[in-house]
Formats: sequence, structure tokens, C-alpha cells
Amino acid sequence: MSYRRNSLIPALLILLAGSVSADDPNAVYEKGAQAMVSKDYASAIPLLQQAVQADPDNLRDASELRQAVLRQTLAAHPKSEGATADFDKDIAFFDQLTKAHPASANAYLNFGFAYVDKIPAAGSITQVIQANNALTEFTKSIELKPTWIALYTRGNSYLYWPKIFGRAGLGVADLEKAYEIQKKEPKKSYHVRVYISLGDGYWKTEKPDKAIEIWKEGAAAFPDSQGLKDRLAKKGDDLDKYINDVLDPNKRVDTDLKELWRTQ
Amino acid sequence: MNLRRKGWIALALALPAAVWAIEGIEAKIRFADVTQKAGVQVVHHTRHFKGPTADVLRMFTSGGSSAAVGDYDGDGFDDIFVTDSDSGKPNHLFHNNGNMTFTDVAVAAGVAKGNDPDKIVADALWFDYDNDGREDLLVARFGTPLLYHNEGNGKFKDVTATSGFTKFGNTIAAVAFDYDNDGLLDVMFGNYFKPVNLLDGKDPHVLPNDLDNAVNGGGVTLWHNTGNGHFVDVTEKAGFGKHTGWTLDIGHGDFNNDGYQDVYLACDYGTDRIYFNNGDGTFTEKTETATGFDTRKGMNADVADYDNDGWLDIYVTNITDEYMKECNMLWHNNHDGTFTDVSRETNTCETLWGWSAKFGDFDNDGWKDLFVVDGLRSAGKDNYIPVLVNLITQPGVDFTDARLWPNIGNMSWSGYQKKKMFRNLGGQAFKEISAEAGVDNDKDGRGIGMADFDNDGRLDLYQANADQMPYLYRGVTEGGGNWVQFKLTGTKSNRDAIGARITLKAGGLTQIHEIDGGNGYAGQSTKRAHLGIGKASKVDSVEVHWPSGLVESFDGVQIDKLNKLTEGGGHKQAPWKVAQK
Repeated sequence: MSYRRNSLIPALLILLAGSVSADDPNAVYEKGAQAMVSKDYASAIPLLQQAVQADPDNLRDASELRQAVLRQTLAAHPKSEGATADFDKDIAFFDQLTKAHPASANAYLNFGFAYVDKIPAAGSITQVIQANNALTEFTKSIELKPTWIALYTRGNSYLYWPKIFGRAGLGVADLEKAYEIQKKEPKKSYHVRVYISLGDGYWKTEKPDKAIEIWKEGAAAFPDSQGLKDRLAKKGDDLDKYINDVLDPNKRVDTDLKELWRTQ
Repeated sequence: MNLRRKGWIALALALPAAVWAIEGIEAKIRFADVTQKAGVQVVHHTRHFKGPTADVLRMFTSGGSSAAVGDYDGDGFDDIFVTDSDSGKPNHLFHNNGNMTFTDVAVAAGVAKGNDPDKIVADALWFDYDNDGREDLLVARFGTPLLYHNEGNGKFKDVTATSGFTKFGNTIAAVAFDYDNDGLLDVMFGNYFKPVNLLDGKDPHVLPNDLDNAVNGGGVTLWHNTGNGHFVDVTEKAGFGKHTGWTLDIGHGDFNNDGYQDVYLACDYGTDRIYFNNGDGTFTEKTETATGFDTRKGMNADVADYDNDGWLDIYVTNITDEYMKECNMLWHNNHDGTFTDVSRETNTCETLWGWSAKFGDFDNDGWKDLFVVDGLRSAGKDNYIPVLVNLITQPGVDFTDARLWPNIGNMSWSGYQKKKMFRNLGGQAFKEISAEAGVDNDKDGRGIGMADFDNDGRLDLYQANADQMPYLYRGVTEGGGNWVQFKLTGTKSNRDAIGARITLKAGGLTQIHEIDGGNGYAGQSTKRAHLGIGKASKVDSVEVHWPSGLVESFDGVQIDKLNKLTEGGGHKQAPWKVAQK
């Protein structure tokens, strides 16, 4: 194969991809989603990037892009939590995206999640740096649009910080705001998360009575929640150990946002 | 969980319970603090620096409180060389008086000096570099090392000038072993900082360039003993030249049972490294396949066969504290050049800010127990970590610049941590027994020197602490098992018999023990082999594989005694390499 032909094929592919994007961003997303289903992440990622660039505030498209990156690196590195370089590429993508679209609250939110996705793959001190970077992006998102998801996300993130850093109180403040928002909305399945996390926040800030109260309130609204059942079944050191285990920064946090639009 | 780990657990579960402990020794491991009575209560001092980075550099160089055990006068009682680190402060040579008291003879012996204004003492090592039967002394420094020849009359002669050890290094670890099996002990230095003089303050960019993957440390240097009291730097030639990590400790041993000494490097701020000896004077790094790449803060590498399967395992301490959950690594040898970390499964994962760790059979049941010291800096009630995180999370900050690091002042950092002792439960798991064993002090531990200082058949422990007094713990376990000790003397091999492997069969258990030349952070333990044999009343067989390749069995080994075995004095056996393969 000649040099010319080599260079022609990628150019054609770009043109083809570009033509889909120009016509219908949703069609590009669907193509990317289909590639995801068939675990063809190498194809899915550029298509989803294209969809996100066309609609940077679209939570769904950006969330799926991050999931594609995550699944690709986990598949390539099955004995680890993925390669940090793969996550760094995703972080760089969202960095560029937010620079290009500084008013897009959900772009910042997903930028923060991209840092969170990298944390388990990183060394212990890099984890701290990534977690802090994530908080910075979540804050930008909240400053633009203080949505339930943004407040819940930042509030929950604060809880992962060890007590010594005194950030759990900030988490409680965010989660209380998210709680107020969800009280005014029709009930959604994901609202259970705030009951769980707000209780965890109260527990970490040494307000056990308030923790149990909010967990009980949550259990009344979501009686099938295993997370709430587990917490209410434990006491003292057992409960403390359980919550510390749940909030272990070495464990991968599920940042897939599908639940948000599946229950819309 | 990977397949290797699954396989290991399945194997462990399949072991019959009867094998877990020889004849059911259930003695409670106990130690008594005899520091004052023994006369070894000297305070260590970290180095004070000058200038705007003084506070930070003092903190970063606080690791040099070490203890090296060796019988320098050949009286049958192990002595202890203890380092200090501040300018002008003397080191200590504690002569063992034979009654569990010690006398500091460092000045009279001529080995007290070393903390010069431009050099910091950080580690020490006894080894007989000229095979004259007397233990010589190497003092490792941030600077150039000191080599003292043992003159045999209680005096030492500084032979550094003719030793070849003229290369500057910020050395924190030193081990001696015969990497080419030529009968002469070689030396490997583990260097922490890159080779710049920290004390002149000219270069502020001396700290790690990355806190999880640093590549601007001092690496290691390997020195070949040429046989005339001279050493030659063979680092590049041997294959270690590319390592630029922040080496904190070196553990050597024959990891693949091929008769040659291999090397594990415990590195701060990033990946530990493992090198296999090619048998031709060179080594090949096999980190990727043997252990994988880690990003932890490797502090210690001790080597022993904790599960008595005939293959050496490696224990590495890291940092596991409220703010950092790294977990230690107990590398179980998979017998195929690979290792599996089983620290979580064996309950040896969490020892806070770990430093030195040593395997030793403290109840003589035939299974090696584990002592781990920890704690960085115990000072005021304020904590340095939140202050430090402010630096770490600054976008684009240059970690190498010592001027940017906040002063620690009187703040504590991973301080007041309880030391950890673990009893080996038949090679499958360990049980923490620190408090009941009497060793759960909260000093800022660094090095461990382990030996049977009173020759009573129970291992004792010297714990060196930073800026604090040490602990000397006498083993006082009652009802422990029988034991056997060996003092090996090489003839064709190096006289210290470093690298020699003993295989002992007694009471239905086969144990291996390799004589090491300084494994474990900031410490060197006795070169005598100490093996518990439980209730066994005799030894069934003893075989020694010498570094020369000679394999011999020895008759007449007595239990509860020190047995002296000399190379060439046993019954020649088939060459071990052939037998193993």
C-alpha cells in the first residue's frame, strides 16, 4: 500500500464521520452507542466525542463517552483499574470541551467525573490531586447551574475525603440542597442516593441521630433500598466500618449516569 | 482477584491443619523492654539544615536511625552498631557484655565519627569484605561512605581512601552479597535523593518530581569486590544504571532457586523494582512480569520463606493511614518468577506509616513471625497532612522545589503509631499480637536489628527510632518450641556465608533460611540462622547450599544449641542447581 493510500483512508473516515455529525448529532450518538453494545470501543469513542462536541451540555452523550473510555481501558488492562494514560486522554478531551463551551454546566460536570474515573487507577497521592480537580470542575458546574445532580455529585465527593481534611461538612451542605430540590420534584428512583449520602455525611460529621433519621425517611420512600437497609441494620463500629468501606477512595465509583434519563 | 491469587488461596486451604504448627506450639510471644537496663538508651538526632529549606530537608532526611548487628570481636555474642545523624553526633558501638548489658566502645574502637558538616550518617553494615574472619564495618552516608577494617584488637582502621568508595551518593541503604559467587562480598547501595549535596543548599530542586511515579531519585550503585580491599563501580555493567527511583531499601535473596542472588528494591514515591541475576555478572529487571508496576511508597524489603514452601517471599511496607490507603505487600513467590501480593489475605496489609519489618520465629514453632515498626513524626497536636495537601493540590506545582513545601514546625505527621507484631499461623495468615507481645510502643520507628543477644534461644529486637531513644526488647516467651542456630563459615564461598541457604528438616516440616547481608530497612540482623523446630526433639537433616555451589549435608546437629558449620566440613551432595531443576 502506498503512502498516499495510507493517508487517504483515515481522511475518508474523518469525512464520513463528519458528515454524520453535521446532519444529525443524535444519529452519531446512536452509532456510538451501537458500537458500545458490540464492545467496539475504538469506534465508539470518536463517535461519542463527536456527539458531545456537537451537544456539550448533553449529560447522556458525555456519560456514555466516559463509560466507553472506562470499559476500553479496563478491557485492555484486566488486572488493574485501567491505564492512567487512557483516562488522561479523556480528561484532556473534557478540558478542551469546557474551554470551548465555558457556559456548559454539564460539560464541567462530566469533566469532574472524568477525574473521578481515573482515581482508582492512580497512585495514592495522585488520587488526592484527581479528587481535588474533580471538585473544582463540579464547583464550576454548580456555579453555572445548581442542579440536583451537580449538588449531589459534589456533596457525595466531599464524603470520600478522610475526616482529617474536614470536608464532610461541605458535603452535607450540598446534599441538603439536593434534598430540598428533590422534595419539590416528583419522586425519582435516583433520589434514594441523597437519602443514603446525606445520612453518611451526618454520620461522618458525628451527627448519628440525624443520619439515622434521614436513612429512615429514605427507607420509608424506598423500602427496597439495600443500601438503606444495610445502614439501618448496623450500629456503632460496625456501621462506621461499613461507611468507611463504602467511601474507600480506592474503590471505583459508578459514574454512569444512565439512571437519570432512564427514569425521566 | 486474579488467577494466581485464587490458586494460592486454594493451595493454602488444602494444607492439612496438622501442618500448620509443629506439634501444636501455642506459646504466647512475649518481649520485655530492657533498654535502660541494657545501657543502650541513646537518643538519635536527625540532621539540622540551614537556610529556607532547612525544615523540609530535615523532615525528608529523617530516615537514618539504624542498627547493625554483628559479632565484631568474635566472642559469641552479637554486638550492635547504632547510627546518629546530626552534625558532630557520634555513632555508637554497643559491645555485648554477655549478660544482656552493653558498653558503648565506639570512640575507643575508632568508629564514632562520620557525621561531618557535609555528610549525614544513614545506615551501617557489618561484613567481612576481606575474608579474614573479622567483621568489618561500612557506614553509609548522604555523601561518601566510610569503610572500617576490623584490626582484631577492638580497633578499626579507616580504609575508605583505598576502598574505591569515592562516589557521592545520598545513601540510605546498604547490603552486602556475592552477586557473582566469586567468594568475595560485593556491596549495593540504595540511594534516596539524586547525587547532590543537600547540605550546601545550592539546588532546591531535590525533592521527588512525582509523588507516585518519581524518577529523579538516586537509584542504586553496585560495587564489585576485587579482592584487594578495593571495590569497583559496576552499576551500569550489571544492569542497574537505568534505575532512577527513590530507593529506600534493598532485599536480596535467591528468589528463583538458581543459586544466584536476586534483588528487590523498595522505592519511595513509586515503583519497586525486581532484578533477577543472570549468573554472568549481570541482572535483568523483571518488574513487569514478576510483580507488576506499583505506585506505592516502598519502605522496606525483607526476605524469608514465611509459608515454608521452599521459595523465598518478600515483605514490603508502604503507607496505610487515615489519609492514604496503600496497603503493604507480602509477595508470595509463585515458583515461576512471579509473585502475588497476599498481604490482605494474610492480615499483614495495614501497619500505618511502615518502616522496617523483620521476619523471625519468635515462639520457635517453625513458622516465621513478623515485626513491623512505623510512625513518621510524633510532635504537637496539629497535623501536617491538611497543610501538605494544600501544596499537593495546587495546579502545576513543582514538587521538586523544596522551597515550596510548607514547614512542618511542631506539627505531627503520622505520629504516635503503635508498632505491629504478627504471629504466623501456619504460613496461611498472621494474627496481630502487638499489645500482648509487649512491643506496641508509639515511637517513630525506623530500623530493626534482630538477634539472640543473650544466647538463650529466643530472638531479641533492637528498634531504632528517629529523634528518640531506641527500644531493646528481650524475648521472654515461655513455653516456646525447641530451636537450632547455625553459624556458617564459608571457605571457598565468602566467609560470612552470605547467600548460603540452609534446608532443615525436623518435626515433619522443611524450612529454608538464607543468610542475608542487611535485608530490612535501616537495619542489619544477626548472620546466625535461627530456626524454631517446635516440639521436635531432633533434627532429621540439614543441608547447606553454599554460594560456591557446593551442597553439603551435616550430621550431629544439636537442638537448642548454636551449631557451627564450615564449608567443606560436611558430606558432599549432588549439585543443588541440578537437583532443583
